[in-house]
Amino acid sequence: MKEDLIVPGRTYGFTDFIRIPCKVCPFYTVIRIGNHILASVTPSLQVLVSAAFVDTALAVFAGRAQGEDIYLPLAGLILIIAYTNLNWQIISCINLKSEIRLTQAYKAELAQKRAKLAYRYIEDNDTWDLINRVCKEPVEKINGGFGNVLGAGGLVLQVGSLLAILLAQVWWAGLAIVAMSVPLFFLAIKGGKQIYEENKNAMKYSRRADYLKSVLQGRENVEERTLFGYTDAVNRQWREKYEAARKIDMKASLKYFIRAKGSGLVIVVLSLLIVFVLLFPLKRGEVTAGMFMSLVTAALGLVQTLSWELTNTMSKIAKNVEYLKDMTVFAGLGETEGALDLPETEMAFESLEFCHVAFRYPGSEREILKDFNLKIEKGRHYAFVGVNGAGKTTITKLLTGLYDDYEGDILINGKNLRTYTQAEIKALFSVVCQDFARYQVTVEDNIALGNVLVREKTQIKEAADIIGLGETIEKLPQGMQTYLGKVREGGTDLSGGQWQRVAIARALYNPAPVRILDEPTAALDPVAESEVYEMFGKVSLGKTTVFITHRLGAARLADEIIVLDGGRVAERGSHEELLSKKGIYAKMFEAQRSWYQ
Amino acid sequence: MKDGKKIGIWQILKTLMPQIVKASPWLFWGTVIVQIFHGISWGMGIMMQQRFFDQAVLLVQGKTAFGRVFLALGGMGLVSVGTQILNGAGNFLPGVLDKIVGRCQIEAIHEKIARIDPASFEDTRKLDEINKAEKGAENSFWFICTFIIIFAFYLTYFIFVGWYLFSLKPVLCVTLGIIFLPIALGQLIRMKFFTRMEEASAPVRRENEHYEACMVSREFFRETRLLGSFQYFKKLYLETLGLLLGLKYKATMKSNLFELAMRGITVAGYIFILLMLFDALMKQEVSVGAFAAVFHSLGALYCIMEEVICRHVSNMAQEAGTVVNYIRFLDMEERDSGGQEAPGWGDIVLEDVSFTYPGAEKPAVQGVSFTLKKGETLAIVGENGSGKSTLTRLLCGLYQPGSGRTVMNGVEMGNLSFQALFARTSGVFQKYQRYQMTLKENIGISHTGKPCEEETLNRVCRMAGVEGKKELFPKGYDTMLSREFEGVDLSGGQWQRVAIARGFFRSHDLIILDEPTAAIDPYEETRVYNQFAEISKEKSAVIVTHRLGSVKLADRILVMKKGRICQMGTHQELMAQEGGEYKRLYESQERWYQEAE
Repeated sequence: MKEDLIVPGRTYGFTDFIRIPCKVCPFYTVIRIGNHILASVTPSLQVLVSAAFVDTALAVFAGRAQGEDIYLPLAGLILIIAYTNLNWQIISCINLKSEIRLTQAYKAELAQKRAKLAYRYIEDNDTWDLINRVCKEPVEKINGGFGNVLGAGGLVLQVGSLLAILLAQVWWAGLAIVAMSVPLFFLAIKGGKQIYEENKNAMKYSRRADYLKSVLQGRENVEERTLFGYTDAVNRQWREKYEAARKIDMKASLKYFIRAKGSGLVIVVLSLLIVFVLLFPLKRGEVTAGMFMSLVTAALGLVQTLSWELTNTMSKIAKNVEYLKDMTVFAGLGETEGALDLPETEMAFESLEFCHVAFRYPGSEREILKDFNLKIEKGRHYAFVGVNGAGKTTITKLLTGLYDDYEGDILINGKNLRTYTQAEIKALFSVVCQDFARYQVTVEDNIALGNVLVREKTQIKEAADIIGLGETIEKLPQGMQTYLGKVREGGTDLSGGQWQRVAIARALYNPAPVRILDEPTAALDPVAESEVYEMFGKVSLGKTTVFITHRLGAARLADEIIVLDGGRVAERGSHEELLSKKGIYAKMFEAQRSWYQ
Repeated sequence: MKDGKKIGIWQILKTLMPQIVKASPWLFWGTVIVQIFHGISWGMGIMMQQRFFDQAVLLVQGKTAFGRVFLALGGMGLVSVGTQILNGAGNFLPGVLDKIVGRCQIEAIHEKIARIDPASFEDTRKLDEINKAEKGAENSFWFICTFIIIFAFYLTYFIFVGWYLFSLKPVLCVTLGIIFLPIALGQLIRMKFFTRMEEASAPVRRENEHYEACMVSREFFRETRLLGSFQYFKKLYLETLGLLLGLKYKATMKSNLFELAMRGITVAGYIFILLMLFDALMKQEVSVGAFAAVFHSLGALYCIMEEVICRHVSNMAQEAGTVVNYIRFLDMEERDSGGQEAPGWGDIVLEDVSFTYPGAEKPAVQGVSFTLKKGETLAIVGENGSGKSTLTRLLCGLYQPGSGRTVMNGVEMGNLSFQALFARTSGVFQKYQRYQMTLKENIGISHTGKPCEEETLNRVCRMAGVEGKKELFPKGYDTMLSREFEGVDLSGGQWQRVAIARGFFRSHDLIILDEPTAAIDPYEETRVYNQFAEISKEKSAVIVTHRLGSVKLADRILVMKKGRICQMGTHQELMAQEGGEYKRLYESQERWYQEAE
C-alpha cells in the first residue's frame, strides 16, 4: 500500500490536512466535508424556518391564516431538529470508517519512513524528539487538523450565512457586523499565536519541574533518595520551578479568557445594537415578529459560539502550524537506501581493512577515531579492548553501514564499503550489541530472526542447544512456541542471562561470515562472561569473530587482541605478545591481576 | 487501607474536598459562588428574552411605548453581559485553582513517597499505585470540580428553568425529563460498550505497541535493521492494528446504533413539546414571547444537558478509578514513623535475618546473623543473584527484615525515623543516579544540609578521580551535567566517579560500596579501591563485589550463596578452607589473570 502521504521535500501546509484523508479515502472525505457544510448552514436555515413557523403560528393565532398553514413550516422545523440531533451518530460512523483507513495507511507509512531513516537521526536527541512528536498519535493530529480547517471554514460559513439573512433584512446592520468582526477575527488569530508562544516560555520551567519530579518519585532513585534524605531540598526546588511555570501559564490563560470573553462582550453589545436598530423596521412592519425573534436568538447564540470557538479554533490552528513545520522537517529527513531490504542470500568474506579512517559523531567536536588503520582476516578471532569511550562500539556502527560520513576508506574484500548495498552488508555481519533486542515473540521466532530468509527448525533448535538454552526451553510451557516477555498475555519472561543467550543463539543461526559480540555480557560477572566468550569462540570455528570488551579476562581467548586508545590502534598481538610489550595492555592486565596475588 | 476495600464516592469527597478547600479557600468559595450565579444567569436569560419578545410583539401591535421595549432590551442585554462575564470567570477560576491544588498535592505525594518503605518499590502492585498516584491527584481536582460545577451551576440552572417552565404551564416540566432520560441512557450504554472494548483492546494494544517499537524504537533499531526483520514486524504490526481497529469499529457501531434510537426518542419528544407549545399558544395559555423564548431555548437546553451528561458525568466515571488510586496511595502504610532518637554510632547486629521480595517465592536473604563492628571493613562477595545487594540494604536499614532483627548500637532499626537511621550512613549503589543537575548539585545532593564549599568538593573529587578538566566541565562545579538542559554529557565511567564523589561527600560513619566500579577500567578501579581503603580506616565500610581479587584488603569477607552466608573470615582464612566456595570462586577468576602457561 503506497499512498505517498509522506513526501520528502514537501512543505506541509493546511491543504495537507485535507489532502491526506482525500488520498486515503476520497469518498468518505467528500461526505464529511459535505456534511460539515450542511451542518454549518443549518443554524441559518433554522432561523428562516423558525421565523416562518412563529409567523404562521402568530397568524393562525390572530385568525389571519388557516390551521393547516402551519404544517409546512412545522415539517421543515422537524426536519432540521431531526438533522441536528441525529446527524452526529450517522456521521461518526463515516468518521470512524475514514479513521480506520487513515490509521492503517498513515501509521504504516510513518513506521516505514522511520525505519528507513539514516541512523544518525536516531542517535541525535533533537531529531529523535522531533520524530517522536510527529509520530505520537499521528491520526489524531491529522484528523484534528482536518477538523480545524473544516471548523474554521464552517464558522465563516455559519456567520456568513446569518449575515446574509441579516443583510437581506436590513443591509446596513449586516455591514456593521462585518466591519466589526474583521478586527475580532484578526485579534483571535494573533491571540492564538501569542498563547502558543507563552506556553513555550512556561515549558522551560515545567520541563525542569518535571525532571525534578521524576527524581522525587522515580523508582530508580529510591535508594539514594531514602538514604540521602534529599526530598525536602529537591521539593523546594521543584516548587520554585512549578510556581514559575504556573504564573506564566496563569497570565497566559487570563489573557486568553479576557480576549475570548472580551470579544464575546463586543459581540453582545453589537447584537444588542442590532436588535435595537431592528426594532424600528419591526415597528414599521418591514421585519416580521417571527424573523425578529429568530434573529435575536441567533445573534445572542452567536456570541457564545464566536467567543469560544473562534478563539479556540485559532489557538488550535497555531498548534497545527507547529505540527506542519515538524512534519515538513520529518518528511525531509534523509533515508538510507535499501534500509528495509532483506539480506543477500550469501556473501563471501576474505578481508576487512580500515584505511586512515577518521570519524566524529555529527554535532560533536570529539574525534572518536583518528587515522585508524587495521586489517582483519578471514577465519580468525579478534578481541577489541580499550577503556570506555575509546571508540570500540563506533567501529561496529561504521562496519554495519549505520554511519558512512567518515574520512578514509573501509575496504571489504578489497572493495570500498560505501559501494556495498544494505542487503550485502546485512549478509556480511551478525552483531549482538550491548543493548541486544528482546523481541517479545516466540523463542523460535526470536532465534529465527537471525536468518529471515530461511527457517530451519532443526538448526534453530541446534543454535539454542549449543548456547545452553536447551534445558530452559524444555521447561517453558509451550517449548519453542512460548512467547517471551510480558507483552503477550501468558508470556514467560526470562532472566537477563537467558535473554542474552537468546540473542547469541540468534547470532549463531545467522549465516553471516563475520560475527561481532559488542559487550553483550556487561551485566554478567567476569567469569560468566569469559565462559560465554569461550563457548562462542568454539562454535564459531571457521567464522571470523570480533569480541568487544572492556574487561581483559576474556580477551586472551582471541587469536589477536587489538588495543584501542585515543581513537587509534595502540597495540595489537596475542595475549603473550602484548604482555611482553609492557604497554597499555600489560599495564591494565597487571592492575587487574595484582588483586589476585 | 485493607486490600480490595471499596472506596465510594462519599469517601472520595470526604478526603479530597478538604484538601482543595485548604489549598486556597478564597478561590474555592469564589468558584462555587461564580458557578451558582452563572447558572442563575442562564436561566434568567430565557426569562428576559420572553419579556423582551412580549414587549416586541406588543410594539408591533402598537400596544406599548418604545421606552418599555428599551427597558426590556436593556434587561436582556444586562443579563447577557453578566452571563458572558460569569462564563469567563467560571471557566478561568477552576484552571487557576487546579494548578494551586496540584502543587499542594504533588508536594504531598513527594513527602509521602519519602516516608514509605523503599522495598515497596520492588512490589509491582505497590509500585503501580505509586506511579498512578500523580495521575490520580491530577484527576482528583477535576473530579471534585465537576462535582461542584454540576451542583452549583447545572443544578441551579435546571431548577431555575424547571421552575420557569412550571410557572408557564406545568406539563412543560416534562421537557426536562424527555431530554434528560434518552441522553443519560445513551451515555450509560456507550460507556459500557467502550469499557468492554477497552478491556478487550488492552492486551492487543500492548502487543501492537511492542511491534511498533521493534520496528522503530531506539532500543531495537540497529538490530532490526541489520537482521532485515522489518517486514516480519510490519506484518505483525498491521495484523494487531487491524484487530484493534476492528474492536473499535464494533463497539462504536453498536453504541452509535443504540444512541441513534435514543436520539429518535428525543426528537419525538422535541416535536411533542413543539406541538404542545403551539397548542398552548392557540389556547392563549402562554404568551407569544414565552412561546418564542421557550421554543428557541430548547436547543440550548438540550446542548447543556448533553454537555453535563456526556462530558462531565462520563469523565467523572472514567476518572473515578484513577482518583481511587490516589486515595489508596495516601492511605499507604508508612515506615518512617519511628520517633526514637539517633543512638549514636556503634555496632550493627543482624539476628537471624530473612528477607523476601514482594511477589517472590524464595527469600533473597535467609537466616543471616552477624555483627558489623564499629570501624570494620567488610566485604560481601558471591555470584550474581546470591543476595549480596539485598543484604547490604538490610544492613544499612533501607529494607526491614521479614523476620529476625536488625539492631544499630542497641536500638532496633525499625523504631528509628529515617532521619535518625541514616544520619551517619552513606553509600554508592549499583544503580547510582545520573542527576541532570550541576556537578556541584550532583555531589552535594547526598547531604543537602552540608555547605558545598570548594575545598570539600575538591577533596571528594580527588578521591573519586573526578578530574576537573576544562573540556569536561567547562563551567567547573557549576557545569550542568545534561544535554537536555544545555549542559554536557558524561561517559559511563565519568558518571560512576561522580557517584562515588557523591557518596564520599556525605558525612558518614558507615559507607557502602555496592559494585560501583563496573564501568571503570581496571587501572582506575585499583586506584579507587586504594583511596577507599584509605578514607575508611576509621569508619565502618561495606564493599560488595563479584571481583574477589579487589577485596583482599577487607578486615573480613562474607561469602554469600543462595541467600545464606556460606563462609566468613579473612582472605587468608578463607583460602585455607579447601573446597570452600570462596576458594572456588577465587581460583576460577584468577585463572583469567595468570601468566600464560
